Amino acid sequence: MDSKLIKEQEIKRNINNAFRSAEVTVVRRRRISVRFRAGILPAFISYLKEYMGFVHLVMISCVDWLEDNQFELVYHLWSYEEHIHAMIKIRLDRDNAQIKSLSSLWPHAETYEREIHEMFGVDFEGHPGLTDLILEDWSDLPPMRRDFDTRAFVAETFEWRKGREDAQDVRQTISARYGETIPEFKKDK
Amino acid sequence: MSIKGTLLPFSALKFLGKKPHTVRYPYQKKKTAERYRGFHYNDIEECIGCGTCATICQNEAIDMIQIEGIEAKKGDSGLRPRVDNGRCCWCGLCVEMCPTGSLSLTDQYLHTSSDPESYLLVPGVDHPEFAEHLSFVKDDEVRLLDLARVPMKELDPQERVKSFAEVVVGYMQEEARREATRCIDCGICVTACPDHMHIPEYIGAIADADDELALKYIYDNNPMPEMCGKVCTRQCETVCAIGHLGEPIAIRWLKRYATEQFPDPAAVLNPTIAPANGKKVGIVGAGPAGLSAGYYLALRGFDVTIYEALPKAGGMTFAGIPKYRFPMDSLDKQIGYMEKIGVKIKYNTRVGKDITFQEIRKNNDATFIGIGFHVPYKLGISGEDLQNSIQAIEFLRTINLGGNVYVGKKAVVIGGGNVAIDAARVARRLGAEVTILYRRRVQDMPADWEEIEAAEDEGVEIIPQGIPLEIIGEDGKVKAVKYGMAEMVPDPRGGRPRPKLIEGNEHIMETDTIIGAIGQEADYSFLPEDLKEELKIERGRVVVNEFKQTSIPDVFAGGDNVNRTMDAISAIADGVKAVEGITHYLMDE
Repeated sequence: MDSKLIKEQEIKRNINNAFRSAEVTVVRRRRISVRFRAGILPAFISYLKEYMGFVHLVMISCVDWLEDNQFELVYHLWSYEEHIHAMIKIRLDRDNAQIKSLSSLWPHAETYEREIHEMFGVDFEGHPGLTDLILEDWSDLPPMRRDFDTRAFVAETFEWRKGREDAQDVRQTISARYGETIPEFKKDK
Repeated sequence: MSIKGTLLPFSALKFLGKKPHTVRYPYQKKKTAERYRGFHYNDIEECIGCGTCATICQNEAIDMIQIEGIEAKKGDSGLRPRVDNGRCCWCGLCVEMCPTGSLSLTDQYLHTSSDPESYLLVPGVDHPEFAEHLSFVKDDEVRLLDLARVPMKELDPQERVKSFAEVVVGYMQEEARREATRCIDCGICVTACPDHMHIPEYIGAIADADDELALKYIYDNNPMPEMCGKVCTRQCETVCAIGHLGEPIAIRWLKRYATEQFPDPAAVLNPTIAPANGKKVGIVGAGPAGLSAGYYLALRGFDVTIYEALPKAGGMTFAGIPKYRFPMDSLDKQIGYMEKIGVKIKYNTRVGKDITFQEIRKNNDATFIGIGFHVPYKLGISGEDLQNSIQAIEFLRTINLGGNVYVGKKAVVIGGGNVAIDAARVARRLGAEVTILYRRRVQDMPADWEEIEAAEDEGVEIIPQGIPLEIIGEDGKVKAVKYGMAEMVPDPRGGRPRPKLIEGNEHIMETDTIIGAIGQEADYSFLPEDLKEELKIERGRVVVNEFKQTSIPDVFAGGDNVNRTMDAISAIADGVKAVEGITHYLMDE
């Protein structure tokens, strides 16, 4: 198995020769994953594009690590020469989510960045137009953030249609049936 | 012109045998993709109405409603989901979260109508034919529910039999939080709890790292939760929604965890005791029923006195349950708390001997009888009166009071209930080889399966389908027991199968002691003759109404001598109900 990963290991070595702080993991055949710091991302990505053959930006995605108070941006790159998929993972502070735009390297990065900006609230420095993409007049929290309460939003925004008034709460039904009175305690003592 | 150019067109011939992708005539409906998510189907019989689908639905598309033909019962809320297909986005979360696996999505997706009402469908009731079209069903590999219980640490069986140290170690904080997080907060467990404790609320509090709040919910209707946390028969867990596909939430261990966090419950609960209302209540027997009634009556300002024959309170939980299951300091902690809030317990006072029942009735405005079942049934075979033929209840009581009982090198326990298992495990700890003789099969044993397993781990041998016929003596002492093997025959009245003795298949087992554990009854000898007639008793149990009031208006009753389930939590439930009855009887003019 290991013998088949020669290509991947070589890329890992090359990346580490240029950028010592990049944490490169060979996930499996044809797939590597790189953790990198946000500060010099454009330099790193342009190195991958110009010198390592990762000429295609497949997409950019974002993960909300609420518990760590961080966002994770994942840049998916593809090398046609080596047939290798590289995932570049960047962690950003959730309260001050800012990173340089890659629109100068790939024009189509613009759309992905615009969407991430809209859905998570990440600010892309140098982006030509971070305006509304899908949502219109959105003033709430960016909706893909995990602390956005979809349920409350739905209940507030959409009208309850008639004919559903007979809905019952399971817990209340059970306690009523057995004459159980659920006490209410103050959260703060 | 090359030969290749001539032959190439003929290669198209290979498509002749293939099926075209275009629409076929006459029109054939195309198959949907595998695990396609169309309209819902719900197996109405499998569904328990836990409402998890309605809770998880991010679009609030599911309502729980009452439908015809479905009755609420133990383990079933009686409600069923109805889907608003105008709101549904067919994400399938409801299917993945369904703890019974009754809900699925089908490959049916066609519906057009200008009537919005027609989009409200009760899966399984509307379009029952969708059962033939299941597509997105529960998946054992990908599941959002955590079906595996956090394991409970126990002492090693070899170590256990050396002492009366508590067998179950109890959850650590992290383990309890993890276990509590598995709960889906549906409340189905409450339907099975005789006392209807606020289970989802206290498990939720434990999951939220608020153990104090959990304790408040627990003490709201159970004053002996630490005891229940250790030895409850936990009917809640048998109906737990998660238990349908996985291991039920360890409700009992979580209650135990919450109560064990606080050495003094009073410091957390800080109960408000109502000012004295001048009414007095006398309670016969400091068992779970009497103590529960006493505790909540005292909180309501009643003057409560409990009369207990033994030198310690707790009733059967003290005298019957061995200390490796329910240690003494744990009991002392709970009794201490009750006495602290004003429950008076008169120990070593046997009603009928040290004080008469009439006197208690005269001195109090109401009385409560919670005497339990402490008199064992006789085996009814010859040789029963020989020396070293003893009764499990008396055996356990003597050991728990700190006394000694001779068990010898080999003991035979007769019976298959929790008392029999307790007696066997205690005898094992006293150094005897123990065999349990039971008339029916192991799966018919009324004892807790965990108890049976633990006994087997500790080296107790079980002989099922063995009926004791005679105890053989020598010099007035037990020497052996003769038993016959039985076969199981169906009960003509539809009950559980009955054992029938096989002629000629008899065995003799040498033994030093015989311990009988085939059941107990109540001792009503303390009642004066006139009351014995007035108090309605049927088949050894006092007849009571919903509020535990007997045929004599000022006499209430609860516990084993009233209910049929005969466990601690039912006794507590009786006590709590009687508090309502007594308050109503004494305070509402």
